[in-house]
Amino acid sequence: MAESRDDFIIAIRSAFLKKSTKQKFSLLTLVFFSIFIISLSSLNLKAITVTKSVIKEIVYRSSFIISIPENFIKSSYLNLIEYANFYKEYKITKEELDQLKSENISTEIIKSENDELKSLIDGYTVTSNKILAKVIVDHESPFLRSIIINKGSKEKLKIGTNIYDRSYLVGRVIEVNYTNSRVLLLTDLNSNIPVSITPGNVQAIVIGNGDKKGEIKYIKNDLINKIEDKGIAYTSGTGSIFKSGIPVGTVDLKDENKKILINFYSDFTQLKYVFAEIDELISTPLETEQNNQIKVSSNTEQIKLDLISDELQILKDSNTKFLEENQELNTLSNELIKQIEILKAENDFQKNVIQQHNLDQEELEFLRLNLIYSSKCQSKKLFSTGFKVGTPEYKECIMRKGKISD
Amino acid sequence: MTRFQKKNLFYKVYTWLPILALFISVFNEFDFNYLNIEYFSFNFPFILIFYFALKAYQRFDYLLVFLAGLFNDTVVGLPLGISSLSYILICIFATYLRNITISPNLIKDWFYFLFIISFINSINFSILFLFFSYELDITLFIVNNFFTFLFYIIFSIFFKRYLKSLDD
Repeated sequence: MAESRDDFIIAIRSAFLKKSTKQKFSLLTLVFFSIFIISLSSLNLKAITVTKSVIKEIVYRSSFIISIPENFIKSSYLNLIEYANFYKEYKITKEELDQLKSENISTEIIKSENDELKSLIDGYTVTSNKILAKVIVDHESPFLRSIIINKGSKEKLKIGTNIYDRSYLVGRVIEVNYTNSRVLLLTDLNSNIPVSITPGNVQAIVIGNGDKKGEIKYIKNDLINKIEDKGIAYTSGTGSIFKSGIPVGTVDLKDENKKILINFYSDFTQLKYVFAEIDELISTPLETEQNNQIKVSSNTEQIKLDLISDELQILKDSNTKFLEENQELNTLSNELIKQIEILKAENDFQKNVIQQHNLDQEELEFLRLNLIYSSKCQSKKLFSTGFKVGTPEYKECIMRKGKISD
Repeated sequence: MTRFQKKNLFYKVYTWLPILALFISVFNEFDFNYLNIEYFSFNFPFILIFYFALKAYQRFDYLLVFLAGLFNDTVVGLPLGISSLSYILICIFATYLRNITISPNLIKDWFYFLFIISFINSINFSILFLFFSYELDITLFIVNNFFTFLFYIIFSIFFKRYLKSLDD
C-alpha cells in the first residue's frame, strides 16, 4: 500500500517538476505562469492593455497570412456551390435591382428631409461615414462568434462602432487595436440587440443563439401574439448601442421548440468585406444658425434637385425604352399589313378561279341540255316556233329544257 | 525507400513538424467549420499535444506549447492564458500517464484522453463563466469534446506512422 502511494507521488512529482533534456521550464512553472497571465488579463492596467494590443496586432496579421491556404480552399468550395445557382440568382437579382432603384429615390428624399428636420431639432447633424474594412480573421469558432477587421483606432473606430454588411447590421466593435478591431457578431451568445418588430411595433431584445440565428427574449407575454411570421426586425436604438432603423432580420415562428427566432439578413459565414460606420457630430452655433439653416435648406434643395434629376433620368430611360418598343411594334404592324395584302391578292385570285369554274359548269350544263333539247328549240322552216342557233333566246330555251316562253 | 539524411534541413523541418502543425492549427483553427455541419467541431491541438507529450516528449518543447496557447487565445478572443493552462495541463496528465504506464495500450490512452479533455473543458467553461461572465453554450463544449475524443484514434494512426518514419 505504501509502495503504491510512493509510486503515485513519484509519478506526480516527475510530471510536475522534472525537466527533460530539451525543456527550459518545468510544467509546474508554466502552470503558474498561465495562472499569472489569466489574472493579469482580467486587470485593466494600461501597460497590460498596450502589451495585449501589440500581441494582438502581431497575431492577427500572422493568422491572416497562415489562413490564406485554408481560405483559398474554403472560397473555392463556396464558389463552386455559388456557380451552380448563378444564373437563377442573377435573374432574380436583376428584377430586384430594378425595383430597388425606383424605391431608393423616394427613400433618399425622405432621408434628406429627415436630416433637415433633425438638424432643426437637435442643433447638430450626425455625419456618418462608412468605411470599407476587410475581414482578416474569421475562424467561425463554435464558442465565440467574432471576426477581426483591418481597421482600428487609426481610422477612428471605437468600441461600439456599428458594423454593416451592405446596409444590414452584422455586429459591433468590442475591441480596438491600432490597425485592427474585433467585431462581435449578432449571432454570438453575448450579443444583445434592442429591436422593434413590424407590424405591431413590438419592442424586444434579440440575443444570438451561438449558431446562425437570433432569438427574441425579454418581451411582454401579451405582446407575443402581436408578432407575425416574416415580420421585420430593425434596431430600435434603445440604449444607444446601435443606431435606430437598421434592418436586422425577419421573424421565424416555425421553430420546433416554439422559440421566436430571427433570420438575419446577412450570412455571417460569408463576410469578406464589411462597412464600419464612423459617426461625427457637427455642431451648429447659434450665431450662424440662420445662415446654416439656409445652407442646410439649400443643401437639401440641392439634394432634392439631384434626386429629381435622377428620377428624370430614369423616366427618360424608361421613355426611350418605350419608344424602342413602339418602333418595334410599328415594324411588326407594317409587316402584318403586307401579309394581309398578300392574302387579299390570293383571295381575289381564288375568287376568279371559282367564278371561272362556275361559268364552265354552266357551259357544260348548256351543252348537255343542248344535246337533249336542241330539236325543240331550233327554228324550222315550216313551223317557225324555235329560235336561231347561237342566239340568247335559243340558249334560254335550252336552259328551260325546251320550253318556249310566250 | 528514400530516407532522410540526418542533419539535413528537411530532416530538421520534419522533426519540428508537430510543433509547426500546432502553430498552424492555432493560427488557422482548421476544424472544417465551412462544411456547415451543425455543431461539428473538434480540438486538434488537444489531440496533437496529448499524443506527442505522451509518446515523443523529447521532441516536444513545452514552452512552445505554452506560447501556442497564448496565440490561440488571441485568435479566438478568449482571455489570455486560458488555452496555455489547458495545453500545459494536458502535458502534465500525459507525463503522469507515461510515468505510470509499463505496457502502453492505445485504447487505455484513448479513454484516459477522454477523461482529460472533459476535465480541462470543464475547467475552461467554469473559468469563462464564473470569472469572465462569458455566455457559453454547454452543448457546443460537449459536442466538441466528443468529436475530439473520436478523432484521437484517427490522428494517432497518422502520428504513429510519423514517429516510425522518424525513427527509421
